[in-house]
Amino acid sequence: MSEKIKITIDGKECETIAGEYVLNVARANGIFIPAICYLTNCSPTLACRLCLVEADGKQVYACNAKAKDGMSIVTITENIIKERRAIMEVYDVNHPLECGVCDQSGECELQNYTLEMKVDQQHYAIKDTYRPVKHWNFIHYDASLCIVCERCVTVCKDMIGDAALKTVPRGGDKLDKSWKEQMPKDAYAMWNKLQKSIIGAVAGEQLDCTWCGECISVCPVGALVSEDYHYTTNSWELNKIPAACAHCSAACHLYYETKHTSIENPEPKIYRVTNEFHYQPLCGAGRFGFDFENRAKRDKEAFDRAIKAFEKADTIIFDSYITNEEALILQRLKEQRGYKLINEDALRLKTFMDNYSLYSGQSLYSADVKDVHESQFVVSIGTALKSDNPRVRYAFNNAVKMNKGGGLYFHPIKDPVIESLGKTVVPVYHKPLREEAALYFILQEFGNKEKLPKYIVEYLNSLMVTKTKEEEVEVTEKVVEVVEETVVDKKTGKEKKVEKKVTKEVPKKVKKPVEYKVSALYDMLDAPEDLMDKLKKVLSKAQKFTLILGEDLYTHPRAKNLAKLAGLIDRFTDFEVMLIPPKTNSLGVALICDLDEEGGEYTIGYNAKGDFVLSALGDGDLDMPALNQQEGTFTNIDKRVVPTNVALPYEGYVLNDLAKALGVSDKEYTIEFTKELPQEKGYKPIDFDDLPNEFFNDGTEHRGYRLENKKVNLSRKNIEPIAELPEFNGTVIYRCEPVLQFSPFTNKAHQLRSKGKLYASETFLKEMDLEEGNKVNIQKDNITITTEVELDDKIGSGAYVGTFDPSIDTKSLFDGYRFTEVKLQKV
Amino acid sequence: METAFIIETIVKILVVLGLFSALAGFATYVERKVLAFMQRRLGPMHVGPYGILQVLADGIKLFTKEDFIPQGAVRPIFMIAPVITAATAFIAMAAIPMFPEFTIGGYTVRPIISDMNVGLLFVLGVMGIGLYGPLLAGMASGNKWSLLGAARTAIQFLSYEVVTGLSVLAPVMIVGSLSLIDFNNYQAGGVGNWLVWKQPIAFILFLIAGFAETNRTPFDLLEHEAEVISGYATEYSGMRWGLFFIGEYANMFTIGFLVSLIFLGGFNDLWFIPGAIAILLKVFFFIFLFIWARASWPHVRPDQLMWLCWKVLMPIAVVNVVITGIVMMFF
Amino acid sequence: MSGLEQFQDRNVSQNYYRVKIEPYPKTPWEKFKRVVRKSLKPDLLIGLKITLLEMLRFNIHTIQYPKEKLPVSPRFRGIHRLLRLLESGNERCIGCGLCEKICISNCIRIDTKPDENGRKIPTEYTINFGRCIFCGYCAEVCPELAIVHGQEYEYASEQRAQFAMKEDMLTPLDKLKEQKEYPGFGAPTPAADKLIKKTPLAY
Repeated sequence: MSEKIKITIDGKECETIAGEYVLNVARANGIFIPAICYLTNCSPTLACRLCLVEADGKQVYACNAKAKDGMSIVTITENIIKERRAIMEVYDVNHPLECGVCDQSGECELQNYTLEMKVDQQHYAIKDTYRPVKHWNFIHYDASLCIVCERCVTVCKDMIGDAALKTVPRGGDKLDKSWKEQMPKDAYAMWNKLQKSIIGAVAGEQLDCTWCGECISVCPVGALVSEDYHYTTNSWELNKIPAACAHCSAACHLYYETKHTSIENPEPKIYRVTNEFHYQPLCGAGRFGFDFENRAKRDKEAFDRAIKAFEKADTIIFDSYITNEEALILQRLKEQRGYKLINEDALRLKTFMDNYSLYSGQSLYSADVKDVHESQFVVSIGTALKSDNPRVRYAFNNAVKMNKGGGLYFHPIKDPVIESLGKTVVPVYHKPLREEAALYFILQEFGNKEKLPKYIVEYLNSLMVTKTKEEEVEVTEKVVEVVEETVVDKKTGKEKKVEKKVTKEVPKKVKKPVEYKVSALYDMLDAPEDLMDKLKKVLSKAQKFTLILGEDLYTHPRAKNLAKLAGLIDRFTDFEVMLIPPKTNSLGVALICDLDEEGGEYTIGYNAKGDFVLSALGDGDLDMPALNQQEGTFTNIDKRVVPTNVALPYEGYVLNDLAKALGVSDKEYTIEFTKELPQEKGYKPIDFDDLPNEFFNDGTEHRGYRLENKKVNLSRKNIEPIAELPEFNGTVIYRCEPVLQFSPFTNKAHQLRSKGKLYASETFLKEMDLEEGNKVNIQKDNITITTEVELDDKIGSGAYVGTFDPSIDTKSLFDGYRFTEVKLQKV
Repeated sequence: METAFIIETIVKILVVLGLFSALAGFATYVERKVLAFMQRRLGPMHVGPYGILQVLADGIKLFTKEDFIPQGAVRPIFMIAPVITAATAFIAMAAIPMFPEFTIGGYTVRPIISDMNVGLLFVLGVMGIGLYGPLLAGMASGNKWSLLGAARTAIQFLSYEVVTGLSVLAPVMIVGSLSLIDFNNYQAGGVGNWLVWKQPIAFILFLIAGFAETNRTPFDLLEHEAEVISGYATEYSGMRWGLFFIGEYANMFTIGFLVSLIFLGGFNDLWFIPGAIAILLKVFFFIFLFIWARASWPHVRPDQLMWLCWKVLMPIAVVNVVITGIVMMFF
Repeated sequence: MSGLEQFQDRNVSQNYYRVKIEPYPKTPWEKFKRVVRKSLKPDLLIGLKITLLEMLRFNIHTIQYPKEKLPVSPRFRGIHRLLRLLESGNERCIGCGLCEKICISNCIRIDTKPDENGRKIPTEYTINFGRCIFCGYCAEVCPELAIVHGQEYEYASEQRAQFAMKEDMLTPLDKLKEQKEYPGFGAPTPAADKLIKKTPLAY
């Protein structure tokens, strides 16, 4: 992107790119500069002023000073030491001495820096202000512990995109001016700001957000903690187990932190989940939905029954909440015992990817989440981003905020969260089944017309229609005016007035009908015609483009054609394409398993319905370990094979035990399959224990390995034009999980447990004459589902049902496509 | 033989057996108390008044304890060894005149089981046989400590047997008899007639040898805890161990009587004290001396023990005998 | 020198003296001389005298233990006690878990939760006295003087369950008056106040 430069920090020569913040350069090179308020990938707050350094003899803040070639930085001078110590003393003013009970104690940055700056005496004082504790749902905010570093505010705005937090007036005493002479300059300025503000919710008393809890994670002190974790243990007692989140395809890096349950119960329990917030955010489902384990015992009889069932069965139905290794075991079962493998979502993804490959020339899609972070322009089509993959949404927001970027959001359901990302993100709320038009729209607006295949260009041209509209046109008119002038007579020296005629040109606005050409795609998508004008400023600077495609497309009746268009976009536009795998390991299953379309007569269900059910939820015929009880790998959205580890013990049987009993596996442990994952699909023969799982100081991700992207022969067949599909007439509902839910596993977690409902927007409730709490019958064909209605203020239109609650069979309402037409009846 | 003599002898045997067994027990109590007092302690206090019934409690314990024989032991010998110790200790008492003659209901009792003319030789001989007890016990136990204890038994008992014999030879030469009653009678007539004045060196040598023969500090090498656990008695418990114990205390009494009889005027009346009481006082003084020495002195090393025996005591004893002989010959 | 001064005077070498060890005799004659010297010098008799005098003096030092007990030093580390605040009767323990962390035999466990006032309280507290080595670190580290070592040293028990839950160690409410403020192990030193740098207050 930018040219490489060299700067010197404390005598160490560091290579970096121009425009990088000095603090980041230092961190990447292992040089310590203290900083509390700065968050990687977010904008500098300049709240703490600890990162004071001397650049070429001038004091600057490392978090917002950009590196210039040849710059020389000194991180410690006498004055800086004084400033930093004073700052830490100020932070300690009126900070409650309750480290003994504080949840953050032991990993508290205030503690650490107080020690680091060797604060052993307090010189400053001011009257304390009453700052009450606030309970924000999952989040416990103890304002008295808050040091107003604003990391929560920053992360909420720059990373998450909810912007639900802000600083509000503290209401404390004004800082006495006499301090100004007594203390270092920056410390005084920082104190002055600190004394005036405190953190509050934008919405008022309650927090209005999507409950990612990232603010808990970033809080350097114990001010923001999880209500569930609050005062239950000390952080140093916890065992940090690095793992991958098992809820969605982002498979974010996280730590399960475990300890014995209680004095009476020595069984380990997960107390909380933490993440490396500098490098990767985590959504609420991952953070709060951790205890979905299946505490099962070894049941030999059930195991024997399972073996019998396997001998009888000809089909295995499974979902994608499994590891790559388990997928490989299933594939081996198929290869050696001839089972049919059924997995709808993975099969759809696979079909989509196969068709995509034919036109993009590569076996895998091209973008990953990091690309989204780095993009200046992001387009999302066919996915309810905030529910389907929160991390991609965070990346989208981050791109908009940090890169001054923009984007387009194509979806039938209005989403206020996306709308709030910024003015440069233009939502296009089209009707369901119009996704094809959206893809053509991308080709139309962003495609390189010279390179695109001729038939596509011709087709796009054929969609151009001529329209007229009234436009204000500026017309210049000549106007003659009489002006009086005062002229001094040269001879007489007297003044006299003379009238003159002056002709002037005056602009005038006139409405006129103007003919113009526009693509019919705008109408098809209900897109505003000035869309591209709004984005003009962003696009003029945009260098990197990412297209996010979601599950709506894979389930679309014309999924194959959509996939081909996506492939074409990848090849002929600046866009890099990213597909969101619908479930945690859909991509892995799609790559590893040879899936079948039709099942047989007797089926084994693995976390799915079948004649004999293996279940990690604990409700099946034979228990299986949940994903926080397994070690193995996932293939995540980044096309990366990421390892996950055992957080909680599991005593029952695992899939490998079944495979061993059936003579298919000769491995003792499931992870011995890791190095046998199919190399022709891009996997590498690396042992599980050799897979790294960490981030480096410079933010590079070292988790597992990336799949190899293979070349695929291009197809020469023409892509079909937009097909006329029958429109939905009646009530349309969407299949989507509410925020914080992904699957029955998230619903098993005690903090997230809830009942499946019909989630409706306010407009939908009005239209249908419903109120929150009403019971409704959802009817389709001969299926009727009775459920409650709940208002979801995070959608602007429409209604949806989730599949996370297995007690209501919402899946049967949908035949593939995520929108369906139903009849609603108030009960 | 007369019936009365048989009955008398049996009664004497029973009295000696019962009395000295009981005395052995009582001596343990006395030893513990005296040791305690010398060490500023109280000793047994809980069983009975001032812990007097401790002896009984220990006896009950010893009798009721499991009779345990280790797997590697030679069973018959292991079982019989303590009996040898106890038996020889009591048999040795057969030739010792405990008290002066007295009359009960017109019947004159001589408080000696068997007044033989070689009484001293018999006592020393039987006590010498006593070494088989610890020796066999140690060899039969199948235990290294026991074996070491047995080896020490052999050298210690055999060596000091020589000193005992040689030291007592000079008084024998003077008295001209081996009967202990003759010894007693020789010293009749007051303190001035005691043999100790004529044979002070023999007295000291005999006393030292007596400590060694009875396995008492400072010569308690056979079962010195810090070196060989419990020596030959390591594997013993219960009443079998108790028999060793009784044997040791009986031997202490035997030595006490022997020293009193040979050197200190025996059961002759002492000033106003009747002879029976006098000898008891003398014996108890020696018992006390045994205990006193244990409280005061450390024990010697085996090599020092041997050095003392063969290089110091024996030559002195021989010289003593020779000088005694010369003196007797010329004066 | 008073007892404490003597204790604080770490220069103990002044009281040392060298034991004279005579050279070991080499020739038999020297050896013989030594024996004579040692035997005739009343070493053995002095030993006998000392023990006899001790017996006659009858200066007995025995404490008849179950009947008589010695007073225990305030710094003795007996069975732990959990103390209460004298004024309110509230538990002193704030559940900070430092004792749990510092315990080198890993025998302390503590369960905590927020109470209805939002304060952290220990719901259960246990010390496995089967494993405790009475090192006193827990009392030393406790910032609230909540856990101290009591004076009790008779802690044999037949049941493992009696090693030991919170209620066993916590001062019962009705015995609050009997609770002694602890001068001993883990208590701040008398001069602690002087050592602290005072924080300015704006009130």
